[in-house]
Amino acid sequence: MPLPDVMIDLLKVSKVYPPDVRALTDVSLTVRRGEIVFLTGMSGAGKSTLLRLLNRIEKADKGLVEVAGIDVTKLPQRQIHLLRRKVGMAYQDFKLLPERSVADNIAISMEVVYQTPALIEKRTRELLDRLDLAKKYGTPAEELSRGEQQRVSVARAVANSPEILLADEPSGNLDPETTALVMDLFNEHNRRGATIMIATHDRSLYQATSHRVIELRFGRLRTPQTRAVDNGTVPDDTVAPSLAAIEEA
Amino acid sequence: MRFLAVVLRHTCRNMLHTWKSQLMTLCTVGLSVLIFAFFYLIYFNTLHLGEGLGNDLRLVVYLDEEPAQVLQEEYARRIEKFDRVERLEFVSSKQAYQRFQEQLGSDEDVLVGVPETFLPPSMEVYPVRSLDSLSRIKRFSDYLLTLPGVLKVQYGKEWIEKFYSFIQLMRIVIILSGFLLIMTTTFMVAHTIRLTLFARHKELELLRLVGATSSYIRMPFLAEGALQGLLGASLGLAALAVLFNWTRLQFAGPAAISGVPFIFFPWPILFGMIAAASLLCALGSFSSTRRINQI
Repeated sequence: MPLPDVMIDLLKVSKVYPPDVRALTDVSLTVRRGEIVFLTGMSGAGKSTLLRLLNRIEKADKGLVEVAGIDVTKLPQRQIHLLRRKVGMAYQDFKLLPERSVADNIAISMEVVYQTPALIEKRTRELLDRLDLAKKYGTPAEELSRGEQQRVSVARAVANSPEILLADEPSGNLDPETTALVMDLFNEHNRRGATIMIATHDRSLYQATSHRVIELRFGRLRTPQTRAVDNGTVPDDTVAPSLAAIEEA
Repeated sequence: MRFLAVVLRHTCRNMLHTWKSQLMTLCTVGLSVLIFAFFYLIYFNTLHLGEGLGNDLRLVVYLDEEPAQVLQEEYARRIEKFDRVERLEFVSSKQAYQRFQEQLGSDEDVLVGVPETFLPPSMEVYPVRSLDSLSRIKRFSDYLLTLPGVLKVQYGKEWIEKFYSFIQLMRIVIILSGFLLIMTTTFMVAHTIRLTLFARHKELELLRLVGATSSYIRMPFLAEGALQGLLGASLGLAALAVLFNWTRLQFAGPAAISGVPFIFFPWPILFGMIAAASLLCALGSFSSTRRINQI
């Protein structure tokens, strides 16, 4: 089956956490195949919620969420694996198994799609090498620093070469050098056709990018008004409404 | 093949990871199977014994007069209608006299002057040798008494009734121990699997997040349950076999029961019990993993 041109399609999506915390309000967004999109915004703006809706960790209260041609809101529980095999996600809290080795933590995503042990090992070593973690192959995840754990989480997300890659604050615990390694990996996957959405508040990631940058504020997608920086674009903070103005509205 | 290999790998990893609770479950399952199999073995041997004793099982029906051929056929028809019989023999007064004479042997002269027809004619009914016929013997006897021309019905009443009571008691014990087996195996296994699920909740959640299907997550737990049943039942039956042989050796000498031909379970029964225990444990596991879909 040919891949759809639009990989992520959100239409007037809202999410409210009980009792009455509005995480997302009427968010509409379209991401085409092969795009890299930076999702920016302050803490609590709804970036993680948006990513979690795409991977059906959360369910939208209102609106349409379509990922890789799958209507995520109507997807029955027993078919969620079909979506998650297409979507790789690097979590903000890493979601590693602390007692298991680094290799096991990466291999888990390949085991569920029945890759052969030889292929799993080869791919794991290759990814660890790319992320400067080659020596940590057999180390239990709990013995790693937070930065190393973050990279393991990234490696697991890309291990299956998913069609869509979601990264939630992938550079939160990384220094500039390792951030560059992670971004190189993302770019390489993008070149191979992966659609990537990176939620971050790390300006250095998108400051000089030519890719689309969108901003969430208080759960609403801000109308993209961008200004040119070098040869890329960044959101123009000067046009963002003040907090007081939003609260008033 | 890949699926089976993954299931096996995960099952072994699960079992090694929680080996302490696994060992406890294994012991409980083994003990339950041992208790059940112990009583079942007694019952099994009693049945076996009953079949042997069945050779002596015979109802002697005394008649008021020599039945004519037509009446003999009528008796046979009515008896067959009530219950299956192995054999039915009519003994005339003269035949009874001759038998008595043979039994007396050298003392047969005591019969001098006694008319050859002094003993009543009779029917000898040999029911089919089975425990059911043993249990129905009293009803059979009561029925025969209702037939016209029947004076009296004789059978080894006392031992048959005692034997039957014992069999009934054993049946109750087996039902109870079977119930115990079902409860312990399913509940213990279900409990162990639930603990494992709880302990590995994060891992299962992660498996879901990376695209594992429900069967991928569930199968290792079902296999774990079945394996616990298989190992536990094998352990329990092996212990019973050791106990059985030890007991046989102990009473091999001049003891009163040395002549009784005790036998152990044949292979089909052993396999049946192991399969049943495995199935029960898998069911226990299944009941615990039903909620995996909701993770």
